[in-house]
Amino acid sequence: MTRNGETVKWITARRRHPLAGYVVVILALALFGVGYAAMAPTAEEARAQTLSAEAPDPDDVDIAEGRAIFDQTCASCHGQDGSGGPNGPDLREAGSASVDFQVSTGRMPSMDPDSQMPRRDMVMSEEELTNLIAYYDAEIRDGEAGPDVPYEVPGKEPQREDFEDEGSYEEALETYEAEYDSYIEGASDTDEGMKLYLTNCAHCHSWSGGGGALTDGRWAPEIHDATPREIYEAMVSGPGAMPMFSDGVIVPEEKQELISYVKTLQAEPDAGGIFALDRVGQVAEGFIGWTVGLSLIVACAIWITAKQRAHD
Amino acid sequence: MSKTTQAPKALRGVGNYIDDRFHLAKTGEKNLRKVFPNHWSFMLGEIALYSFIILLVTGVFLTLWFKPSMMEIVYDGSYERLQGVPMSEAFASTLYIDFDVRGGFLMRQIHHWAALIFVAALVIHMLRVFFTGAFRKPREINWLIGVAIFALAMVEGLFGYSLPDDLPSGMGVRILQGVMLAIPLVGTYISMFLFGGEFPGEDIITRLYVLHVLLIPALLLGLIVAHFMILWHQKHTQYPGVGKTDRTVVGTPMFPAFAVKAGGFFFFTFAVIAGLSAFVQINPVHLFGPFTPTSITSGLQPDWYMGFMEGSLRIFPNWLDFTIPIGPGYPIMVAVLVPGLVIPGLIFGGLALWPFIEQWITGDKRARNVADRPRNAPVRTGVGVAGVVFYGVLWLAGSNDILSETFSIDLYLTTYIFRVLAIAGPILGFVIAKRICLGLQRRDRETLEHGYESGTIQQLPSGEFIEVHKESSSETVEVLSSKKDPSSTVLQEEDVDSSGVENPDARKGMGKLRRALAHWYTKDNVTVRDVEPHSGHHLHHTHDHTSQEGPEEDEDGH
Amino acid sequence: MTENNNNDKNEAGDDKPERVVGTPSSSAEERVVSEQPAENESAHAGPFEPFETHLRSEEQMRRGDKMASAWFIIATLAGIAFIASYFVFPPNSSGEPMIADPQIAQYSNMLLGGTLTLAMFGIGAGMTVWARNVMPHYEVHSPYDELPSNEEEKGSFSEFFMKGADESGFTKRPLMRRTLLASMIPLGIAPVVLLRDLGPLPREKMHHTPWENGRRMYVEGTHRALRAEDLENDPNGMISALPAIDDERYPHGISMNDQAKSVILLIKVPEGDWKEGMNQPVSEDSDETHMNWTYNGIVAYSKICTHVGCPAALYERTTHRILCPCHQSTFDAADAAKVVFGPAHRGLPQLPIGVDDEGYLISTGDFNEPPGPTFWEYQGGSGS
Repeated sequence: MTRNGETVKWITARRRHPLAGYVVVILALALFGVGYAAMAPTAEEARAQTLSAEAPDPDDVDIAEGRAIFDQTCASCHGQDGSGGPNGPDLREAGSASVDFQVSTGRMPSMDPDSQMPRRDMVMSEEELTNLIAYYDAEIRDGEAGPDVPYEVPGKEPQREDFEDEGSYEEALETYEAEYDSYIEGASDTDEGMKLYLTNCAHCHSWSGGGGALTDGRWAPEIHDATPREIYEAMVSGPGAMPMFSDGVIVPEEKQELISYVKTLQAEPDAGGIFALDRVGQVAEGFIGWTVGLSLIVACAIWITAKQRAHD
Repeated sequence: MSKTTQAPKALRGVGNYIDDRFHLAKTGEKNLRKVFPNHWSFMLGEIALYSFIILLVTGVFLTLWFKPSMMEIVYDGSYERLQGVPMSEAFASTLYIDFDVRGGFLMRQIHHWAALIFVAALVIHMLRVFFTGAFRKPREINWLIGVAIFALAMVEGLFGYSLPDDLPSGMGVRILQGVMLAIPLVGTYISMFLFGGEFPGEDIITRLYVLHVLLIPALLLGLIVAHFMILWHQKHTQYPGVGKTDRTVVGTPMFPAFAVKAGGFFFFTFAVIAGLSAFVQINPVHLFGPFTPTSITSGLQPDWYMGFMEGSLRIFPNWLDFTIPIGPGYPIMVAVLVPGLVIPGLIFGGLALWPFIEQWITGDKRARNVADRPRNAPVRTGVGVAGVVFYGVLWLAGSNDILSETFSIDLYLTTYIFRVLAIAGPILGFVIAKRICLGLQRRDRETLEHGYESGTIQQLPSGEFIEVHKESSSETVEVLSSKKDPSSTVLQEEDVDSSGVENPDARKGMGKLRRALAHWYTKDNVTVRDVEPHSGHHLHHTHDHTSQEGPEEDEDGH
Repeated sequence: MTENNNNDKNEAGDDKPERVVGTPSSSAEERVVSEQPAENESAHAGPFEPFETHLRSEEQMRRGDKMASAWFIIATLAGIAFIASYFVFPPNSSGEPMIADPQIAQYSNMLLGGTLTLAMFGIGAGMTVWARNVMPHYEVHSPYDELPSNEEEKGSFSEFFMKGADESGFTKRPLMRRTLLASMIPLGIAPVVLLRDLGPLPREKMHHTPWENGRRMYVEGTHRALRAEDLENDPNGMISALPAIDDERYPHGISMNDQAKSVILLIKVPEGDWKEGMNQPVSEDSDETHMNWTYNGIVAYSKICTHVGCPAALYERTTHRILCPCHQSTFDAADAAKVVFGPAHRGLPQLPIGVDDEGYLISTGDFNEPPGPTFWEYQGGSGS
């Protein structure tokens, strides 16, 4: 209380100090700056974490472990044989791309089958996922039904903890980056990628991949963190309300153009300044125009016209 | 502090040269002393003026490179990501400004931010004028000019937004064309003529460009000059205070103090706009990509000032659409026509007509130079708040998809909520604002009567504790006691005159309506006329004041 | 203007007593600061006398002077820095601009903008300090001019004006007056006539698109014609398509105007999901049903919203809703694209499709209704 009182007195005494005006304006500036910085998202990773790999060698996978994982984490909703149940759809024709997409983006296993799952960290290790997919392909999948995992498209970046020593990690990372770059730069027709993205994807996921609203409280997720492989898998398997874009409708080379377009766009620095307002666009711009722009100018007006009387 | 500095010879020379030709010395001296009342809210219009100047300067810079052509070319400029993409020359030249002209990116962002700030400043300036009653006689014409500037500024902004021919801007034009097509009978003709054929055609950017850089700015400039000259001639309104009356203006003279302050304010405005443009990206057209009529993005919005139209297009249901059953059948698309034409008509029409409606209700024909405190005109304030709420709800509705996504609300539910709010919001806004005004009036009366609560607690000899009320400053007393009760000449006319004949005006429809409105406008009020201010010390002002006001009020009645 | 000024001057004199109000004249404290200037002022006070004059102390003025100068120096330096930053990112030797790289463009923008901001703010702050610390503060009273002229002046003007009008004969010679007014009428209409060539008349244009029997369709963005079997693997597929036209004159092979009205959304709907509306005729006088116009579960609707023309492409495969992201008109793809929510007036037009001998998807005719925003004559043309 006394402290507060003193502070107030201290401020009161200095209110008419010649520097008071600057202090107010600078404080206001700082407040907006800090407030914005706190709300603004951290700079996006230039590239999403992905790891490209060849299709796993049949000798390296452990189908028995895959079965154990399936029985523990999947079967309660999708049934022991994957034929579905009241809480989960039939998986037999879904294809391994769908399994890989749902599990690698952390959407499966889901805690609440009734609501849309946001993207999360994957709950199992890469190796466990590989085993799960191997089990799915061998025992559950209905022949060749559904799309396969597109192993040629770069997936998640290698993680340090999956490697024993620094050297092998860095080597894997280098290989991964080379593959990533060659996939992204392998695309050559920006117009085709742009047209495909803007006519088939942007109306839900937005021009920047920031996502958007759907009906009944659903939403199209933002796709900044999605790896090229995940985008590919989402297109061929159509998760949630998303329609499918099979390799017949958009051939793999066209998909590469599309993915390259959106990933390049997302990785590009914002030429207009470090605050890109999350690339939301006009709503955010209007909001900042009023709250920051106009408020700062009015703060200056208040400084200019602040009362100065003879007895000041 | 000694002698006045002699005017330098060169300056005297120029001065004499001009005066020999225009006889300006006397006029000039008077105008150097033009009085501007001091208050920060009197500088809001200046923000708009300065933003407009910034828009003119940066706009001229942009025209040096911009090509208003819809010729489709394949881009091979320096911006690598879009090389090989077909686009219009307008879009390609915008990329050129961004990535080949040094400072071009900055100028384009300044132009866009200044446009947002320009319209925002117009709005708050207008709200200040409305809520303080500064539109009353003799300033009605200047108010009308202001409404015209506001309307033109919105159209100017919409056209400018459309010029780069990027994805969202082209969609704005498309929506404009869709609204045009909905106009009964002539819609298709208007659209064909404006676009030179079907949408998008090859002419629209060129035509919007001419309107944007020549016709509308010329009109705006003319109106702004007229607005300012009328202000200069009539002098600025002032808030109530010691010595401030409808006949005398008190404030800082133009030269030297006000000129320096206003000049400094220009630089502040420019600094804030430049600061935003340096660090906050706006309308990144190079990221959006060029317009094609087949592409769309979620979260598509116009700039904020068009948000209310976008919002009304979103929430207006199609239940009222009907088809005229003649021949093949002709549709009347109420769901497009109301949001596209009727609602803007209501907003701008309402703004333009309000001074005359209020004058008709109150019968107040006197020149008013002292601004009202908003609380002292509760009905007007309520109407203003209702208007702001209506506009604000529509504006928010224009971003319902962003709100739905951000706050995880069902998209359709937001539409239903906004439909209800668009009707209930203004009514609630009116009632609440009026209540608050009356509450504040009551507090003012209290303060006038008892002084302000000093926070000092005193113990009386009886042991009772009281809080000491101190007398208010003479300024406060002046401000509080200057309150005029809302009145209307209509209500002062007797229903039945001395010879027993009923006043014919009161029986006719319009007369009845006018009386009802006058009653509505004046019925709620907390008067201070019977209040003796707390201390006698400073009363001579108030006595002077009332004795002076008295006869004037009487005149008023006739 | 001049007359008005005289008016001001006179009123200033008349108004003197009023100015006494609130003029603190005799307080001892005031006199200390204002005595000396009062003498100066009296030498030439200007048209309106200042009151509440508050001269700054010598100390404050000196401080203000320094502070303002400091701001102006900052502004000067920032201004120089602005000019310098222009030259920091020059084009390379082959003339390619360095700022074409978005990262460099960002640095350039922030450097130029930051220095410009500082220069502007410096001048603004310096001027404010100058006005607030160096200039004396005072207010002046001046009268609001009595705006209406007095009756005598008004009467005199009116009389003189009418005298002039009579003198000219304009009031007394109706023939001349009326012929002059008549001569204005054609000239007034002339500009409207001149604008006739702004555009063609609508006629039947908006009722026809390039779709016709046998026209194949390209996946939008490519020049690859779609076959029905390409959608074999998408039980819930969707794709945006354009008529297969390769016109050399246009980079995309098809003009913008034709794109704008012929773009379609191909949707594959699972067998059991179709609704009753599909069995209704496509138009009043037709015996084709919406279902007849589909092929193998694939249905083609115009992608342009019938509300105000945004591409309505947001398709949810689970609900079969097609939603327009602009104003949220919602159409049911499984029910002949009828409006189920939002402001649109009518459903999306449907395109009849089939396959040709080589298995490529083709249109078998034009839309059942004109695509795009609903317009006055949309039902009037030759239609389908």
